[in-house]
Amino acid sequence: MAEKIVVDPIPRIEGHLRIEAKLGENNVIEDAFSSGTMWRGIEIILKGRDPRDAWAFTERICGVCTTVHALASVRCVEDALGIEVPPNARIIRNLMNATQQTQDHLVHFYHLHALDWVDVVSALKADPKETSRIAQSISAWPKSSPGYFKDLQQKLVSFVESGQLGIFSNGYWGHTAYKLPPEVNLLAVAHYLEALDFQKEIVKIHTVFGGKNPHPNYLVGGMACAIDPNRNTAINIEILSRVRKIIEDTITFIEQVYIPDLIAIAGFYKDWLYGGGLGNYLCYGDFPENSIDDASSLLWPRGVILNKDLSTIHDVDPRDLNQVTEEVSHSWYTYSNGDDKGLHPWEGETSPKYTGPKPPFEYLDTDRKYSWLKAPRWKNHSMEVGPLARVLLAYAKGDAMIKDTVNMVLGKLDVGAEALFSTLGRTAARGIECLQTAGFMKHFYDQLVANIKTGDYRTANTELWNPSRWPKEAKGFGYTEAPRGALGHWIHIKDTKIEDYQIVVPSTWNASPRDASGAVGAYESALKGTPMVDPEQPLEILRTVHSFDPCLACASHVFDMNGNEIVKVTIV
Amino acid sequence: MKKINVIGLGNILFGDEGFGVEAVRRLEKECSGFPDSVQFIDGGTQGIYLLDYIESADVLLIYDAIIPSEFNRQVYVYRNDELPAFIHRKMSSHQMGLSELLSVARLHDRVPGEIVLIGVPPRELGLGSGISPAVEGLLGDAVEKGKKILGSFISD
Repeated sequence: MAEKIVVDPIPRIEGHLRIEAKLGENNVIEDAFSSGTMWRGIEIILKGRDPRDAWAFTERICGVCTTVHALASVRCVEDALGIEVPPNARIIRNLMNATQQTQDHLVHFYHLHALDWVDVVSALKADPKETSRIAQSISAWPKSSPGYFKDLQQKLVSFVESGQLGIFSNGYWGHTAYKLPPEVNLLAVAHYLEALDFQKEIVKIHTVFGGKNPHPNYLVGGMACAIDPNRNTAINIEILSRVRKIIEDTITFIEQVYIPDLIAIAGFYKDWLYGGGLGNYLCYGDFPENSIDDASSLLWPRGVILNKDLSTIHDVDPRDLNQVTEEVSHSWYTYSNGDDKGLHPWEGETSPKYTGPKPPFEYLDTDRKYSWLKAPRWKNHSMEVGPLARVLLAYAKGDAMIKDTVNMVLGKLDVGAEALFSTLGRTAARGIECLQTAGFMKHFYDQLVANIKTGDYRTANTELWNPSRWPKEAKGFGYTEAPRGALGHWIHIKDTKIEDYQIVVPSTWNASPRDASGAVGAYESALKGTPMVDPEQPLEILRTVHSFDPCLACASHVFDMNGNEIVKVTIV
Repeated sequence: MKKINVIGLGNILFGDEGFGVEAVRRLEKECSGFPDSVQFIDGGTQGIYLLDYIESADVLLIYDAIIPSEFNRQVYVYRNDELPAFIHRKMSSHQMGLSELLSVARLHDRVPGEIVLIGVPPRELGLGSGISPAVEGLLGDAVEKGKKILGSFISD
């Protein structure tokens, strides 16, 4: 018997993103609306469950950020119950998190974002000898001979001629907004493939400490892995030396491939400094060197920057009911005390109520509610989160390492610090941060080895594992700086079960719709004022939205001045 | 000995979307005596992060919820050249689906020699609804078919 189902949207990914852009004179984006078109209700799934299992559910909400949700979740439950994890657990979590950041940034740059700047088809016309000369002039990376690039180019030719472009099938090849010479395009495509290969190695660290990958194991109270230098089945010297090798190779790859490529590519786009956006940046901070409650021990600092003013850093308290709030005046939810009133996640409500047009529809009613994402705000300000926020905050706080790297990159590009407030600045910040985070991997590895040498093998604190010792009610906050930005989990435990759970993910900050005051979200702000070469090929929208590393697949709709849809493109 | 990777795909938070992951969990339980060259992977929706498991396999056995052209309530098995039409859906927010992963493997000259997809059409895709009775009823057959296929490759 034949059956039919309707699947709209297909729930493969955390959510779908739709951008509606209105063009003004000369195809400059006059206004933009960012809409999450998929309902995400993890909060409802978690109600009534055992708080110790929450991490395993939250890590499934996103296709790419499994470990960060697991980490935020265990930290959240530990915060509620007052559990302090042993030093090994803190260090291993830091190492796994730094591993995730590093791998994710690498994958983002080469496999999500690079093709917004790199024309794959142009690479077919390159002179491999010249590519080799350029490669050797910017880096000591050994795979740089003319023969290497020639072979790669031939492979690419047969790949393109086969007609099955696969990974390269969605590009606007030949678009005039591409500025790289064929030789640099070939270099970038070669490294695209090398990075795909290399990223597989980095994440093996997760398998070592998390037991498996994807979906490594986390544990409320610590980590589930056993450390014993004298046992074959536990984390021992041999396994640790494998980890060290991966870390060293990672640092080399970022130093010799990622950073030189970033600078080489950015050098051709120095005049494309659109996409700065809000100028407000929020970080919860991460990489605690002490107790997670001690914000002063975070290697990535906590704080807020407003209006690009790096001279004033505002304190952030995610537990303060008046700081981080979410309102739903333009989101498809209802609040019991009014949609315009922001609620702190501990008071958060998740009552979906779709009032948008019935699909298929042409465009959303952006005067009213138009997104499945709530509008998170910090003291009523829209915020950008992510690598640019973190780099700017560390820079503003005088972090010597970040300052050196930022100045090195700006110096090589011969641009001033103001260039950071742009799409390109966001992309550069991710590379700068990746280099620093790879250094952190080494730092945490050394810490772990040193701590094991003292004879401390503990990886978990199980004193409060048994719920009979829990308070009747407790509230907790767990945070991390995910690759895409500040991630917060808030829990309310009652009678040993989850009474309420709220998550504010980085992409909700960045892809936020307007709020009741009309203030726009980060994407909406960043897209305004961007000129488009060809509205039917919205490469410029892709560049800016991708520079935020959205956690959502994106569909873009461009309208002319009369509101007629010019083009509808699925951004991947 | 052939390296066999068994990957379950899908999101367990969305009802029958989790079919692939659930099927591989059960298959692993029933295959406890299999050699170490067979690896069972809960692939979730991890897209590009599954590349290593794809490129390192001689034999790839995938479980996934699928939308076949003739929508019958049954277990579907596709091999090698029969696959492409059923694997175009995207798997992760980085939007690298199985077809893209296989195209990368092709560029790297590391396409598994044998690829088998075992799929069932979903019935319920609701948030938190778990596997529906309709799909639950097919799980046993899906696991049996996988066991037979694995057995044939192991004895090769």
